[in-house]
Order: sequence, then structure tokens, then C-alpha cells
Amino acid sequence: MRLIIDGLEFRYSSTSVLKDVTLDANGPQLLSIIGPNGVGKSTLIHCINRILSPNQGTVLIDGENVSGISLKELAKKVGYVPYSANDAFPLSVVDTVLMGRHPHSTYKSLDKDLDIVYDTLRLLNIEHLALRSFDELSAGQHQKVMLARGLVQEPRILLLDEPTSNLDIKHQMEVTRILRDLSQQKNILVIMISHDLNIAAKYSDTIIMLAKGSIFAIGTPSEVLTRENIKEVYDVDSEIIQSRGRPHIIMLDEEFDSLDHSLPEDTYASNTVR
Amino acid sequence: MEGKQEYYRMLRRRWSFILICAVLTVISVFFALSIGLYDLSFADCYRIFVEHITGNITDVYADDIVMYTRLPIAVFTVITGSVLAMGGAVMQSLLRNPLADPYTMGVSSGALLGASLAIIMGTSVSSVFSERWATVIMAFIFSLIPVSVILLISLRRKMTPTKVILIGIAMMYIFSAVVSLIMITSSEETLSEIYSWRVGTLESTKWETIPIPLAISLACMAFLMFYHKRVNVMMSGPNSAHSLGVDPKNTILIQISVVSLMTAAVVSFTGTIGFVGLVGPHIARLFVGSETKLLLPASAVFGGLFLLLANCIARVSGQYGLPVGVISAMIGCPLFIIILVKMRRRSAWR
Repeated sequence: MRLIIDGLEFRYSSTSVLKDVTLDANGPQLLSIIGPNGVGKSTLIHCINRILSPNQGTVLIDGENVSGISLKELAKKVGYVPYSANDAFPLSVVDTVLMGRHPHSTYKSLDKDLDIVYDTLRLLNIEHLALRSFDELSAGQHQKVMLARGLVQEPRILLLDEPTSNLDIKHQMEVTRILRDLSQQKNILVIMISHDLNIAAKYSDTIIMLAKGSIFAIGTPSEVLTRENIKEVYDVDSEIIQSRGRPHIIMLDEEFDSLDHSLPEDTYASNTVR
Repeated sequence: MEGKQEYYRMLRRRWSFILICAVLTVISVFFALSIGLYDLSFADCYRIFVEHITGNITDVYADDIVMYTRLPIAVFTVITGSVLAMGGAVMQSLLRNPLADPYTMGVSSGALLGASLAIIMGTSVSSVFSERWATVIMAFIFSLIPVSVILLISLRRKMTPTKVILIGIAMMYIFSAVVSLIMITSSEETLSEIYSWRVGTLESTKWETIPIPLAISLACMAFLMFYHKRVNVMMSGPNSAHSLGVDPKNTILIQISVVSLMTAAVVSFTGTIGFVGLVGPHIARLFVGSETKLLLPASAVFGGLFLLLANCIARVSGQYGLPVGVISAMIGCPLFIIILVKMRRRSAWR
């Protein structure tokens, strides 16, 4: 699968969000989009799956312009895992994941769709949750269910909006690792938005760093996550160490570190009553 | 594949709830036929019904009461309950709002304004139609004004579920204000007529009343069932629905138009019957979950059964009977709270 974005521009009224975004991504890989809040990360992935219509530019998937295909056909090519899930009327896990089959399903396809759903639940090790209600699950399990819903769409490209934002360290690592593995196993281009630079650095094949609505840097984690780039885009000082061939970022706050942080004597917190 | 079989077992248990409600509805129709001033037993009603079907009528007077007075009321009550509850289920799922009901779009207040105008215009309108039909036609036309306004606005502006709800509520307030104005300036007789239309009644139903609302309701309900998957996907939110191949804007506008049309078709005849459209789907949800393939038929059969039983109680309450809306709320709300508290979040039918 190949994704080409050419000269993409998007504006809300007169406010420019994305300008002249050009990208060519080919082959199965995990591609992370990073950048400060409000820089246009979600807008970019919403332009890829046409939730938003760009003011200018084109998005091509395997040579086909997304603006020219029906929503249902687009849903067969591009899967999407949103930032938050339905909590108004929670369904069972199977029914939630089964929704992902909507672009493919017919009135006689339930049995086949269920096979695909259960295979995916097994792949993500959540088959035991199949008949549980979605609102009874933990945040990590939620994320896996939403990921399963995106996967049963059998897309060529899977978009994820901050898939690890509510998760603890173990689950952040687990979910991102699954995404990396799935990109190879299922031969898909996985594009995720991430705020955790170290998670992105550890598991991504490619990183796109956005700044002020444009691509500031694109390349391997080591190429993109440099002291200079992080200072320029986030206005944060950092130290980069290499760990197992990948960059690891240590955030610095020289001003805070230079201050005296000793507390008054009667300020304490303890697990025993003094 | 054990997991899949377990899912199918769950589906069968949930379908059994729908089947049980459908069987109970048929039994309750005969029960409803036996209730009234003319004393008839359940067995009598069944016998009269069979005699009528086979053409061997032995008691003409009883046949007239059962087949031409009580049966149309029972049939129309089931239709009304089904339409309101299924409409409520669609609105709640579509707008992802547990407080939505078929009246959220201002259908009931529009109908009330139309009916009130027909009542105060009285003879001038009834020179063209009979007064009853004039009221029905005015109620029907006015009940569709709010959804028409929303459709018009949506041609120029982006519509979100929240905007749809707020416009519906705003229209409701405008219509209520006009109705209040009519009520405070009208005579005692007109006031009483408007008020009795407002509380809703099924007692004036005749066979000739039924074909039009039945045809509209069946067509709309068939449409909603045919496209239930779109409503189901809409529960995941507009962005997710879009990425699953469903156009959220068109789906919201088409489905609310269909719900408004079928609600208008029954409400124009019955007046405003509350409760069943709001709480009926929630009770059905407790037994079959929120997946629309089951929720829509479950709401329809439960809504029909519930309104039928409520109407039976309403007819024997007080000296001249009570409005069905009063009874359905007085019995249904405590029942709903008890079920809700006892069952918590789990479906009873797993």
C-alpha cells in the first residue's frame, strides 16, 4: 500500500491548520505523527479518511484519489481508531468489534463476519472478553477492542488517534508493539498520533514531526528525534541517549532543577499515621 | 468454535424476549377486548372473534362491541405503542442521548399547535373536512414543521446531533408558547377540548381511523429495520460512523425524518401519549442490549404490549376512565426504576 499526500491545505474559516503537507509513504510500517498540541495532527489523519475535506491538495491511496471514492469503499481501505469510544449505550465486545465489518457486511454475512471478529479477538488476546459489556472493561482493554474494530475493517491503512493516551506504561508498550507487529503480519500501513516521544522512538519505523501545520521533519526515529528538532518544535531542552539502536529522550528543565525544592518540615505524605 | 456458538446462544435468548412479548401482545389483545362496561370474559371474546372470522355470529350486539368498538382500539394501541417505542429507540441511538424520544424533534408540540388551531377555527375548517379529520390533518401538518426546519437549515449548515436536539427543543418551546397563548385567550369549552387532546386518548379509534396511520407506520418501521445497521454504527459517534462508511449527516436527517413521519401519523390521531417513547426502549435495552437489530423490534413489541396493558388499566380507572398517558407513566416509571436498580448495568437476558 502506498499513501501519497500532495500539497494538502486545510483551514477552519480563516484559520489555517495545515499548509503544504506533502508525504509519500510506501510499504507495511508503523508511522508515528508527533508534534505539540494544536499543530494539526488529528486534522491530518481526518483529511486522509475524509472526515474533513481539505481546501487544497490530494490524498492518494494506491494511486486512487480518496475524494473520488464512495465512503463505503474508502472504509474498506482505511480503518480508523478514534481517541474516545462510544459510552452512551455500551454494546458487548463482539457487537462493538462487529461494527467494523459494516463496510463489508451483507444481510447474510454474519457467520463469516463473526469468524473474522473472533479471529481478531484471539490475535489480540481478548477472546475471553467477547461477551462482556464494553463499559465493564479497563482502559487497556478498551483500546484493544477499538483496535480490533479497526482491524476487522481489513484496511490497507489503519489510522489511530492517540491510541496510548489513557494507558499505563505496560499497556502503552503492549499496544504500540502490537501495532508494529500487525503492520508486518497484516501488511498494512499503520499511522498513529502519539504524544509520547519515547514510545514513538522505540517502536516506530518512521516518524513525522509536525510544526505549525507543516511537516517539520520526517525520517527514522534517530533522524527526527534530535535535540535541535525537539527544542525547535516543542521549545523543550532535552538530552538524547541511544538505547539498542534507538533514541531515548530525557527531558530537561534547567530552570526548575536550579531552584531549591526543599519543603517545610511539617509537609509530608506517608503510608503510616505519624 | 465455542465463542461463536456462545454468541449465537446469547442472540437466541434475546430473540426469545421479543417472541415472548409478541405472544403476550396477542393474548393481551383478547384480554383488552374483555374490558369495558359490557361484561364479557376472555373466553367470550375469543369465541366472538372466531365466530366473526368464520361468519357464524350468534350475538350481534356483542360482536359489534368486540369487533367494531374494542378491537380497533386494541389494534391501534399496539400500533401506537410500537411506533413510539421504536421511534424512541432510533432517536436515542442516533443522537447517542438516553433522554431523546420521538418527540425530541418537536413532533408532539407541533401536533398540539395544529390541533389547537383546528379546534379554535372550528366550523370554518370543518366545512371542508369533518371536525375530527380537520384536527388530524392540521396536527399532522404542524407536527412535521420542526423536522422540515431542520432539513432546511441542514442544506446550508453542518448538523451535529447536539444541534438537532437543540433546534428541536427550541421549536418545541416556540410551539408551546403559541399553544399557551391560544389556551389563555380561548373559551372554556375550547380550552377543555384542547386539554383533552393534549393528554392523549385512544378511545375514539374506529376501523376507518386505522388504515392511513397503519400504512405510514408499517412503511416507516420497515425502512428503519432495513437500515438499522446505519443507526447501529451511528452509536459509535459521527467520526467513527464516517470511517465505517456511513454518512453521519445524511443518516441523521433521513432517520429523524422517518421517525417524525411515523410519530406524526399516530400522534395526529391520538394526541400526545408520553412515557412509552422515552422509557420503552430503555426497558427493552435491559433485556436485549443496545444492538439495533434486536433493540428496534424489541422496543416495538414491548412498546405495543405495554401501551395495550396501560390502556386496559386506564379504561377501568376512575368513573369514566383515565388518560392512558397518565397510567403508563404512573405504572411504568416505578417499574422502570425498580428494573434499573435491580439489574444495574447487566442485561437480564444474557
